[in-house]
Amino acid sequence: MSNELVLHLVVNGEPARALVPASRTLLELLREDLGLTGTKHGCDVGDCGACTVLVNGLPRLACITVAADCAGEHVDTIEGVAVGGQPSAIQAAFDHHVAAQCGYCTPGFVMTLTHLFTEEPEADEASLRHALGSNICRCTGYVKILAAARDAQARMRNPA
Amino acid sequence: MLPLPRFSWEAPDRLPDLVRLAAEPGARLVAGGTDLLPSMKHRIFRPGTLVSTRRVPELRTLRVGADHSLSLGAALSLRELARHAEVRTHFPSLALALGSVATPTIQGMATLGGNLMLDTRCMYYNQPSGWRAALGGCLKCEGTLCHVAPRGAGCYAAHSADTVPVLMLLGATAVFATPNGELPIAVGELYPEDGREGPRCPPGAVLVRVEVPAPQRAVAFRKLRQRAAIDYGLLLTAVAPTPEGWEAVISAVAPQPIRVAAPTREALADAVHKAVQPLPTHQQASTWRKRMLRVEVARALASLPA
Ligand SMILES: Cc1cc2nc3c(=O)[nH]c(=O)nc-3n(C[C@H](O)[C@H](O)[C@H](O)COP(=O)(O)OP(=O)(O)OC[C@H]3O[C@@H](n4cnc5c(N)ncnc54)[C@H](O)[C@@H]3O)c2cc1C
Ligand code: SF4
Ligand code: FES
Ligand code: FES
Repeated sequence: MSNELVLHLVVNGEPARALVPASRTLLELLREDLGLTGTKHGCDVGDCGACTVLVNGLPRLACITVAADCAGEHVDTIEGVAVGGQPSAIQAAFDHHVAAQCGYCTPGFVMTLTHLFTEEPEADEASLRHALGSNICRCTGYVKILAAARDAQARMRNPA
Repeated sequence: MLPLPRFSWEAPDRLPDLVRLAAEPGARLVAGGTDLLPSMKHRIFRPGTLVSTRRVPELRTLRVGADHSLSLGAALSLRELARHAEVRTHFPSLALALGSVATPTIQGMATLGGNLMLDTRCMYYNQPSGWRAALGGCLKCEGTLCHVAPRGAGCYAAHSADTVPVLMLLGATAVFATPNGELPIAVGELYPEDGREGPRCPPGAVLVRVEVPAPQRAVAFRKLRQRAAIDYGLLLTAVAPTPEGWEAVISAVAPQPIRVAAPTREALADAVHKAVQPLPTHQQASTWRKRMLRVEVARALASLPA
């Protein structure tokens, strides 16, 4: 029986440690205990995808993940996707295409696409749209998000 | 903020420990948490201890028989199963049903066991606690009245697990572990008539695996939903030929999936329309869902070879 536990995990490649109640969600752990507020707190019940992070490389909704369930695992958040201090190809394409209005959904979309293009660099339009079904954007109407995603994919396949 | 109520956490890595911990008072099993944790945030459930199924090897094993029969560990994710070559090749309707749950991200978290054990759903129940309190709760949670059928004595919350209609037509069996040994239950026998009762297994029983016999016939599956992602089904439809004719399993309409038989392929849609009455447990009009029954059966049949 453990109401409070000491968690060890690897966040964006760095070891992290926190003493948390067992009822802590991964989202609370990231935002409140580790100060990583890039991962957004949207619906809080698994509907919207704003809180998407990667756990051992796979997307997970941090708002409905018990932090204790990630003990010993690798967690990657939006703070870790930049490469050598430069925005990743996906981040740069979102910027270039203005694929955000309020921007609240953006970290979630970037994490979903980071996983998709790692797993399936050749993802076709159907796979792309299917994957983006995991995330909701209330502002953009998705057209610019799709344009940014296609552009990022092309750049990742043929780096300049 | 919707904080989780306080609980303690157990993540055993041996099946006997899982069975023992799950049988303790106040314990509740959790797998992907994609059904349970939102409900806990909404204060529908307040278990004292969450016991994770995810580290137990027996629940993470997938076995394929020489005849292509399957034994699917209950803690395997929907994503792993939907992508498995044997599932895709020999059980395409199951792959389709697995891939229609929620979203791709949720499919990576959610498990098959959690899907079979999914709580029944209703628009008066799956709501934040303040929303429910404004209506005085309902029979399924905190209240004394059903808002769907105020004159009825039962709860009609809808069975909503996408994989179940197909698993029923494939003749699948759910195998539970209890402190008294293993207990196999046909998937079609699992669901009770009243939406307040959970699946018909002893309290705390651990679903270990789902056994799917060798493929015998083509099964077709359709899910009617508002958006192509995220949404639960408004109608779940599975159809297949039988030695005597045709049968359908319809879900998302009542606490139990409903099995309907007809002598011919042509007669199936009418038989379903006659036997099934969707109730106003969803925001979408039940009159429209009733009309769509015929359409969905016809679409499902059209996706099978003539
Ligand atoms: C936005 C959203 C949309 C969704 N849409 C759909 C949908 O379209 N279709 C659909 O079918 N589902 C949907 N779901 C529900 C859910 O994601 C799936 O049903 C999923 O398969 C549940 O699995 P889980 O492992 O997450 O279950 P959990 O939440 O971990 O558990 C669910 C229930 O099963 C019990 N349980 C889990 N494992 C076992 C076991 N081995 N033995 C005994 N009991 C066990 C738990 O105690 C709990 O009562 C949706 C969820 C969300 C958040
Ligand atoms: S069917 Fe009635 S009792 Fe059941 S959850 Fe809905 S309102 Fe509540
Ligand atoms: S905040 Fe997690 S899915 Fe919306
Ligand atoms: S930019 Fe506002 S929600 Fe997507």
